[in-house]
Amino acid sequence: MSMKRIMESLGTVNSKYQMFHAMTEDTDPGDAKFLFSAKDNLTSKDMETCAGSRILEGYFPAFDATAIARMREAGGKLIGKTNMDEFGFGTFSTNSGLEIPRNPYDLERACGGSSGGSACAAAVFEDHVSLGVSTGGSICCPASFCGVYGIAPTYGRVSRYGLIDYGNSLDKIGVMSSKAGDLRKYMGMIAGRDEKDPTSCVQPEMRNDHRKIGSIAVPREGTEGLSKDVAKAFADALDELRRMGIDVEEVDMPSLKYAMPAYYVLATSEASTNLARYVGMRYGRPQGDLSLKFDDYFSSIRSEYFGDEAKRRILLGTFTRMVGYRDRYYSKARKVRQVVIDDYKRVLEDHDAVLAPTMPFTAPRFDEISGMSALDSYKADYLTVPANIAGTPHMNVPCGYDGNGMPIGMQFVADHWNEDLLFTMAEEWEKDFEMRRPEVVA
Amino acid sequence: MDRETVERVARTAHIKLTEDELEKYSRDLGEILTYFELLDEAPGCERYGVNPIEVADVLRDDVPRMDIDADLLLKDMETYDRYVRGPRLS
Amino acid sequence: MKIGLEIHVQLPTKSKMFCSCPTTEAPGPNTHVCPTCLGMPGSRPVLNKKVLEYGIMLAKLLGCRITDTTWFSRKTYFYPDMSKSVQITQYDNPIGEGGVYMLNGKKPIRITRIHIEEDPGKTKRVGDLSSLVDYNRSGIPLAEIVTEPDISTPAEAREFLGQLIADIRHVIDLPGDGERSIRCDCNISVGKERCEVKNVTGLKNVERALTFEMVRQTKILKAGGKIDRETRRFDEERGVTISVRKKEFEADYGYIDEPDLGVYHIKELADSIRIRESPQQMTVRMARDYGIDEKMAKQLITTSVDLAELFETVAKDVGVQNAVKWVAGPVSANWKAMEARGADPSGIMPVIEKYVSGQITDTECGIEIKCLLTGEDADSVKEATGDLDKIVMEFLDANPAVVSDYKKNDKAANKAIGFVMKSTGGRFSSAEVVDAVKRIIESRL
Repeated sequence: MSMKRIMESLGTVNSKYQMFHAMTEDTDPGDAKFLFSAKDNLTSKDMETCAGSRILEGYFPAFDATAIARMREAGGKLIGKTNMDEFGFGTFSTNSGLEIPRNPYDLERACGGSSGGSACAAAVFEDHVSLGVSTGGSICCPASFCGVYGIAPTYGRVSRYGLIDYGNSLDKIGVMSSKAGDLRKYMGMIAGRDEKDPTSCVQPEMRNDHRKIGSIAVPREGTEGLSKDVAKAFADALDELRRMGIDVEEVDMPSLKYAMPAYYVLATSEASTNLARYVGMRYGRPQGDLSLKFDDYFSSIRSEYFGDEAKRRILLGTFTRMVGYRDRYYSKARKVRQVVIDDYKRVLEDHDAVLAPTMPFTAPRFDEISGMSALDSYKADYLTVPANIAGTPHMNVPCGYDGNGMPIGMQFVADHWNEDLLFTMAEEWEKDFEMRRPEVVA
Repeated sequence: MDRETVERVARTAHIKLTEDELEKYSRDLGEILTYFELLDEAPGCERYGVNPIEVADVLRDDVPRMDIDADLLLKDMETYDRYVRGPRLS
Repeated sequence: MKIGLEIHVQLPTKSKMFCSCPTTEAPGPNTHVCPTCLGMPGSRPVLNKKVLEYGIMLAKLLGCRITDTTWFSRKTYFYPDMSKSVQITQYDNPIGEGGVYMLNGKKPIRITRIHIEEDPGKTKRVGDLSSLVDYNRSGIPLAEIVTEPDISTPAEAREFLGQLIADIRHVIDLPGDGERSIRCDCNISVGKERCEVKNVTGLKNVERALTFEMVRQTKILKAGGKIDRETRRFDEERGVTISVRKKEFEADYGYIDEPDLGVYHIKELADSIRIRESPQQMTVRMARDYGIDEKMAKQLITTSVDLAELFETVAKDVGVQNAVKWVAGPVSANWKAMEARGADPSGIMPVIEKYVSGQITDTECGIEIKCLLTGEDADSVKEATGDLDKIVMEFLDANPAVVSDYKKNDKAANKAIGFVMKSTGGRFSSAEVVDAVKRIIESRL
């Protein structure tokens, strides 16, 4: 489909899938070289930016996020801001104060989260790249559920200037596409130092050696608790990798089980401080009765406009850093993060990558999700969280489909700054993988 | 988590909870914290960083500069004579 | 009674702490603002190097141990002037810890820590209905100096602050008062429990607030009451402190690391930074090194550090005696006049050298120095000096007891000074009269 056709049909397509919260009104790509979309927690000058939250409705940023600015400079046309869990707080993109994206393979199912709208757009539109953001798995999870490639690079690889923060020591901006080659191409555009984000200023240059992965470690901890279909597809994928001449070895990574609680402590501690700024002043539409005393005014706005999961994570994160609990939770989690990093470094000394399924199951139906407790959905992240807490680059690669035709993905993790290995892996895998694109009826 | 703690946390975080919410979050957070007991048995480590990679010594020179017009930033805010309007102080 | 202070000093950078907004006087409310100091979603902080340098300088001034690696923390609290509801400050590993400040060169006031942090904006009340906020101040760098409760009285607190500020001003070129004046959180306990009076501006108010608290707490204790641990604020107009909140309602700041900035390995930077001696340290050292009275050293330094440095140069080149005679004498007496006309003191040394080598007399040397500094012509100076000297001599001739009393107590000179001041009716400055009287008395000893 031509860029023009895509732009003309945006409204109709979106009404079916709800991938976008805000969309361009242009119907002509002009002299654009490519079209792209971006998660709605990346600031954009020309489109409202809400990060899935009602508390930010009416926020029209005065500046573009560096990642978006770089895509535009390279000739990209931003067509929409993609729906997501509020501030990234979720696994299914259903924790939103705005619209909930639908899975392109089955509209009754979720896209995964929190970059659900981005995965959906990457799956639905031809030749489309979408910028996602991962804090605990928010690129790989939806990429897996929507059957696309997705990479979350090393922490600090892409400037977070213009990213509406969830957890600043965890957030990473990455790329999602149905084409493996897009990962290298667009990561090359958005990566690199940016003086506006100090954490982006220590990175070595991203390599393009096309180096191939020679050996893979599969942690035993990563093959537990899988659904039957996922286990089968993953076993087949391992066979295929062996056929490709790659060594596959089972290893133990005992630290992985601690990553999940450590992640939720760090992420919510940071999130609860990031969200403290939303008080009904300065930005966003929410305005209340200013004659209330400030404590009451702030509380009333926050209680009304934050969603359920945002409140839960604010409470959890406020608790884990409070006097009397800080040492047990926040300080311990900081140390556990280092233990997880050390565990990866140890395994990656002898292997090029660590591999496991991305999610333990395929995209669930919305009615199944509403029956899950908060803890149930946190636990669903156990495979994606470790690489995120370690800041190591990781990538979802589609590797099969379940009995309902829903996509299954696997996640490769490389050492810090070794994105090149992952790009090459995706490019090699794509050659022999039979990708089933969803049927898109506009 | 007992209700009293949830109430204290909510007050600190400036979130008002309804009776139902208080009950729901007490239960949810209790369940989550029970799971987090895993952390108590996790091995520790003397080294730890602020970031997962080392970010060190990134500094800016002391040169004043304004990149974005302040008027543009104020345009969507509730203002009075260029002051940002806020709630009552006491 | 125990008093401890948390002192906030604005650091004189050109741009803000975490963004490039200028720190100069703004043309109107919310004009020196950007996404970072407004805390807009998506903005990010980048640390100003100069802030780190100033922090290290102050840590050195206060004799603190400077940490090898420092980083920032987030202190979360809700107030309309705090744009992110988070203040970027330091919690673990502040720049400096464990220092000591010698009050009057004698009494140690221990310094718990010094850290750097950002200032919030400013609020303005609109009747009692709502507030107005100006974020121009948001993100101005501050150093916070925390003392141990080593201060004994409100007056001592004021004295300590006065000296500390003079020293800080000297080390980091702090501009004058006004906007950048000192703000203090004052902790005071008369009995066991302490109260904190938050955000008191200016030295005088610190003393007033502490005095009020001292009296208030003493009264309660005398009446058999109990002091509640609480935070209070100072009402400048009424001169009273008012309870803001009890301890059980204290905010829980929930400190965590600030990941957006990373860490700073400052050992090398700290080693490379040399600070100027503080006036207090200089006073003690000059008195010791040159065997002069501390009062004289202090007077030289208070007049100008350049004057004190000239004293040192003269003392080293031609002896302490000549430094006392000339630099602490006529040079000091006319220094302000020289500064007022923006003249250059470099000609002074050659004149003193001419005297030392015997090319000019005592009187001639005094006249030449005065001409050099005040720009007056030699004849009128000679005449005036002659006049002045004559009046002094006549007085001393008539009152020889002044000279003999002076041997026992130099205060005896006051009698002559008072007479001359009165009889010349303001023709000569007090410094000139003092200089002439002392010079002539000493020549008669």
